[in-house]
Amino acid sequence: MKKLLFVLLAPLALIGCKKDKKEDFDRGAMLNNMASAVIIPSINSMNQALINLDGSADEFIANPNATNLTTLQSTFIGTYKNFERCKMYDFGPMMDNGVKAAMNTYPVDTAKIEDNVESGSYTLGSLSNTDAIGLPAMDYLLYFEGSGSILDRFTTDALAENRKTYLGDLTEKMKTEFAPVLTAWNATYKSEFIAADGTDVGSSTGIMFNEFVKDVELLKNAKVGIPAGQFSGGEPLPEMTEAHFSKQSKVLALENVTALLNCFKGGEGIGFDDYIIDVQGEDADPSLSNNIIAQFGTIQTKINALGNDFNADVLTNFSGFTEAFQEIKKLVTYTKTDMASTLGLQITFSDSDGD
Amino acid sequence: MTAIKNYIASFFDWHKTIPANGLAFFRICFGVLMTFSTIRFMSYGWVNDFYVAPEFHFSYYGFDWLPYPSEMAIYAMFYGMLACAILITLGLFYRFASIGFFILFTYIELLDKTTYLNHYYFVSLVALLLIFLPANRYFSLDVRLGLVRESETVKAWHTGILKFQMAIVYIFAGIAKLESDWLFEAQPLKYWLHTAHHWPIVGDLFTQDWVAYLFSWAGCIYDLFIVFFLLNAKTRNFAYGFVILFHFLTWMLFPIGVFPWVMMVGTLIFLSDNLHKRALDVLRNILAFIPFPNFKSERKNINPQSGFRIANVLLASYISFQILFPFRYLLYPGDLFWTEEGFRFSWRVMLMEKAGHGYFYLHDPETGIEWEVPTCNHLTYMQEKQMSHQPDMILQYASYLEETYQDTTISTGHVDLKFKNPEIRAEVFVTLNGRPSQLFIDKKHNLAALENNLSHRYWLEPYNK
Repeated sequence: MKKLLFVLLAPLALIGCKKDKKEDFDRGAMLNNMASAVIIPSINSMNQALINLDGSADEFIANPNATNLTTLQSTFIGTYKNFERCKMYDFGPMMDNGVKAAMNTYPVDTAKIEDNVESGSYTLGSLSNTDAIGLPAMDYLLYFEGSGSILDRFTTDALAENRKTYLGDLTEKMKTEFAPVLTAWNATYKSEFIAADGTDVGSSTGIMFNEFVKDVELLKNAKVGIPAGQFSGGEPLPEMTEAHFSKQSKVLALENVTALLNCFKGGEGIGFDDYIIDVQGEDADPSLSNNIIAQFGTIQTKINALGNDFNADVLTNFSGFTEAFQEIKKLVTYTKTDMASTLGLQITFSDSDGD
Repeated sequence: MTAIKNYIASFFDWHKTIPANGLAFFRICFGVLMTFSTIRFMSYGWVNDFYVAPEFHFSYYGFDWLPYPSEMAIYAMFYGMLACAILITLGLFYRFASIGFFILFTYIELLDKTTYLNHYYFVSLVALLLIFLPANRYFSLDVRLGLVRESETVKAWHTGILKFQMAIVYIFAGIAKLESDWLFEAQPLKYWLHTAHHWPIVGDLFTQDWVAYLFSWAGCIYDLFIVFFLLNAKTRNFAYGFVILFHFLTWMLFPIGVFPWVMMVGTLIFLSDNLHKRALDVLRNILAFIPFPNFKSERKNINPQSGFRIANVLLASYISFQILFPFRYLLYPGDLFWTEEGFRFSWRVMLMEKAGHGYFYLHDPETGIEWEVPTCNHLTYMQEKQMSHQPDMILQYASYLEETYQDTTISTGHVDLKFKNPEIRAEVFVTLNGRPSQLFIDKKHNLAALENNLSHRYWLEPYNK
């Protein structure tokens, strides 16, 4: 029996000696890096941006002039960019406070916003107002070029006072709702996040991965696919672009891609890329980590090649948008198949047995 | 020589009588395990997640006629299953309980193949066998209440068939591991073991390639040979120690639920009569404190001559089926892991890491207009995950989509897309055992027009290793 085992196991020893790799990857360290160097800084800067936005809005409300409008508009764009950098961390405190949907549901219902402004009585937090609040609603108020200038609508218009109040309520709501997210991360959630270092359902790596994948899918569908007509039989839908009135869709899409890549790489520190390399081995060919990073690059190139104003460009540049869409789709495939498989992560929210 | 001959002869004499301890002990263990696993399943909320919440269910080939029970009925079935498991443990109304358990358990399993697990199949088979075994003729409430006559003996095949079933699981699991990815790439273990790298002290070991090779080979050798060591009286106890070690380790390492416990409990049948007897004695001493009336009727041991012919015929058919059925994959061309033709019901346990992702489209054949159907609108995450790499489930889903989207208008923004009788096309990518994902199903097929049957799936893209 012993002899038999020895004979059977001997070849193993040979195979075993062939390749020993150094081990220094640690999921806990990755989570620590993600929390300290990527997630909390991005949430912190979003929080600061919302405070500034609310400040600029107050100033504009007090003195609605051209200078203050320009300042407010630029603070607004800055905030929107910040949002693109943190929205993929929609778990823990961010999910508990439900800020993601409340901040960026688009397209907005402009008629609803006008009704709210006119009546002056509304509950911004109600479900029916989801498409009349947040950054897209501000986008409409601050950029919509109807009859008469934007400034007029906040000064000489009969509903100017109401409109100013609505604007102030929007920024106030975002600011107050987002603040607890940062507080919670700093108080207890950071350590909870780092401590849940397994790979099961409910583990931080698993949750973060799920949200990462979801955000790549949102990039594919909401930012590019739907406006470009991928879901309407090839007929472009310019009304469905993000930041439709400020025409910042491209800037925001690029911001989001960069942030997703940053999430994948863990900023300058340990991230999913290192985890994949650790599992696959340094000399894996092809390297999944390199492929994914390269795919991000291709996506950036394709989006960069699009016109600055998506509203106009979707109408004339179907092929450009289709290319960008196809490249994002490849990234979705990479994450949902290769990455999930390599890291042994479950894209699921309910636990189950395997065999 | 004669000793060996005699041993073999006695080994195959399935109608000789043996003590009833082993079978009674097995009945109790199986009942307890089923009781706890049913409670566990229900307490995790899985009845809802797996059987109530989904809007669509992946039926098994040949079983799509089974009526799908209402929510109430499903819960009732689970409670019924629980009651039957308890009755089996007690050996009370045993015949009724074993039939009930088999029917309820198997019915539930047949509702949705998303949850297919080899050990569920195993439980169904054991439950089926138990119907025909006199496991209530000793150490049971049926005896105590005088409902059946006590028998201190059973026939050798009564436990032999259970041992055979265990052997089938192990040996086929071992044979399945005799393939190049498992043995020469240590896949999927190389990736799977990484998930345990945060274990204290030994965590680093799990990320070493040689450990993955060691586990792969040891697992394969274990599966192939453990039964023989369990059958041999000299090595039996030592081998059972191995069983515990092996399954405990897999339980710690992988999210495989009750499977290790099923195997640890199942292999108890191999232990010596002496151990079974002692275990029952311990139980008897504990239970002696519970006052319970005794209506035992006169003992009547099982007649070794009874039911000789019919038992032989049934046993021969069952055994042949069990041995032949897992080999049906040989009837298909192509790579088994890729096509999964003949994959289920073959004890291919923890054998591959396969993940897929599909983009499904409604396609209007006249205008060429397409719409990507968000899979999450129709399937649960768990269903999507399983469907995305299993060809038969992909076809079932496609056929469901075709049905669902007859004469439908889909509005996005200001555009309305009308689909009268859409084709269902899909682009599916699959990664297998660490290889980069590759095209699994090409968009050129109208999946709704393909028949879901047992013939070769020529419409799958070839697998490039």
